[in-house]
Amino acid sequence: MSRLTIAIPSKGRLKEQTEDWLVSLGHPLRQIGGERGYTAEIEGLDAEVRLLSAREIAQGLIEGSLHFGVTGEDLLNDLAPDGADDFRVVKRLGFGGADVVVAVPQAWFDVDSMADLEAAGAAFRKAHGRRLRVATKYLRLTRRFFAQKSVGEYRLVESAGATEAAPSTGTADVIVDITTTGATLKANGLKVLRDGVILESEAAFTQSARAEFGPVAKAAADALVGAFARSDHNF
Amino acid sequence: MNHDALVAVARAVFEAAGGSPIDPDYVLPADIPLELSGEAVRARLCVFTDNRGAEMAMRPDLTLPVAQREAARLEGGALPKTYTYAARAFRLPAAADDPFEFTQVGLERFGYGADPGADAELFALVHRAVEACGVQPKAIVTGDLAIFPAFIDALCLPVVTTDLLKRAFRQEGGVRAVLDEAARPLDADVLKALDAAEPEAALGDILAARDMPLVGARSLAEIVEGLRARRAAIEAGGLPDGARAALLALRDVDCPLTQAPETLNALAKARGLTGADAALDAFAARVGKIMALVPGARRTAEFRAGFGRRFTYYDGFVFEVLAEGLSPSQPVAAGGRYDGLISGLSSGRVAATGIGGVVRPDRMIRVRRAGA
Repeated sequence: MSRLTIAIPSKGRLKEQTEDWLVSLGHPLRQIGGERGYTAEIEGLDAEVRLLSAREIAQGLIEGSLHFGVTGEDLLNDLAPDGADDFRVVKRLGFGGADVVVAVPQAWFDVDSMADLEAAGAAFRKAHGRRLRVATKYLRLTRRFFAQKSVGEYRLVESAGATEAAPSTGTADVIVDITTTGATLKANGLKVLRDGVILESEAAFTQSARAEFGPVAKAAADALVGAFARSDHNF
Repeated sequence: MNHDALVAVARAVFEAAGGSPIDPDYVLPADIPLELSGEAVRARLCVFTDNRGAEMAMRPDLTLPVAQREAARLEGGALPKTYTYAARAFRLPAAADDPFEFTQVGLERFGYGADPGADAELFALVHRAVEACGVQPKAIVTGDLAIFPAFIDALCLPVVTTDLLKRAFRQEGGVRAVLDEAARPLDADVLKALDAAEPEAALGDILAARDMPLVGARSLAEIVEGLRARRAAIEAGGLPDGARAALLALRDVDCPLTQAPETLNALAKARGLTGADAALDAFAARVGKIMALVPGARRTAEFRAGFGRRFTYYDGFVFEVLAEGLSPSQPVAAGGRYDGLISGLSSGRVAATGIGGVVRPDRMIRVRRAGA
């Protein structure tokens, strides 16, 4: 990894918005092997560019197999074993925004806060002989947040997709998921707890705390940082 | 002495106190630690999935599988016993220099008695095992997980607040989060439903009117119960300032163990908490017995009111022995009382008092090397 290695989301809105942002920096992205290729070049920059899923990018930054990458703060914070020490957000990009929230059934009139959830969880365990189930993709983030809020009466259920449907299908009672407008939660009969916003996430240009920067990579990184300085983007 | 020699020395100390050698199952259903202690333990648990998709865990200590086996034995009508072991345990490392697997040498006593004398005796035994391995304790941190609940009970608060505070004490966020959460009002029509002839039906009507589905496993009856508890808390006016001040003062107690009885008594007296007397008397008696058995503890042992609250199944006396050259999160020995564990593991079918302690030869080797 002597060259600078940068990862960009490989598909969807996140990819388009990242491309627009690179154009605004004066360093447009050129995909190698057409639309379906998984490598690319950033014009005017000596760097290896990989197109990966947002989750792979977060993982690569944390492990140190990537120098820089664009990915969601939700994934970075969830996948990092030591939390925010494992990566450095260089710039929040103002797109890809979503909140990671704790949501419970709207019908739970007695549960508005995390403290209420803990009380309901304790009563539930007494009545059912098992813990309330919380479905989520964000296992670490959930565990840290619940501990911080002194909520311990729950069990995590790893969710592979459609987390918001878990309470209605009976696989869980509570969810931790991302939401932008809250419409999906509402449509599934769920509400966000008043102190249940875990993270206000957006896409972030992020530097790995673990990757080694050799002289070649360092020079390219400096050029990139120079581009930031010349652009209107403050960081 | 190498690692195996330290294991033998420590083992001899525990075996001299009586007990049957045991090496229980290495692999447990992950449900056992997770349902017992909650998700917080998962951070250190070595978990894997079996071929049917069930989550299994490598034993994170010996207390849990020994107690599990003991609970099954008691359910079969046997009498509780004492066990000793020198066996491997597995944890995800918390620090870079922590190993994945290590040997614990220890002792677990079931049905032995739950008095201050039994606590002090176990403490002295673990202390002797550490010294026999050629390690001098630098500091011994102690706590008592029965003191905080006794203070809360003595405050005579509404049940909902009492329960919440007791649970919050055992969580990372502590009681502050609960103390800061005032009794918030409920919707007027929801409150009215509680006074209806059939509150569940009335609540069902509100759900229908608001087009809210009842999803999840909680029933309307459970929601009504939760609302009643919250109404009781609101009517009680939340947490009185005096109670708040008493709990925050207790939380901050951190002093030499010899001074702890006096400090706690003064605190209880100042707040008029006579209901905590039984717990405080037992505490003072234990401190006296510990000092009689281990005079060196006068210098090394301290008491922290919040200590051990995250040690999930302990519910009374707890302690950790620290030595030169290791971090405070790497004790060379630890132990405590867990009178509710057998009952918890058997879903209340059987009960037995429990107390146990272990030493870590792998860490004592490091202390000895650093000192050499």
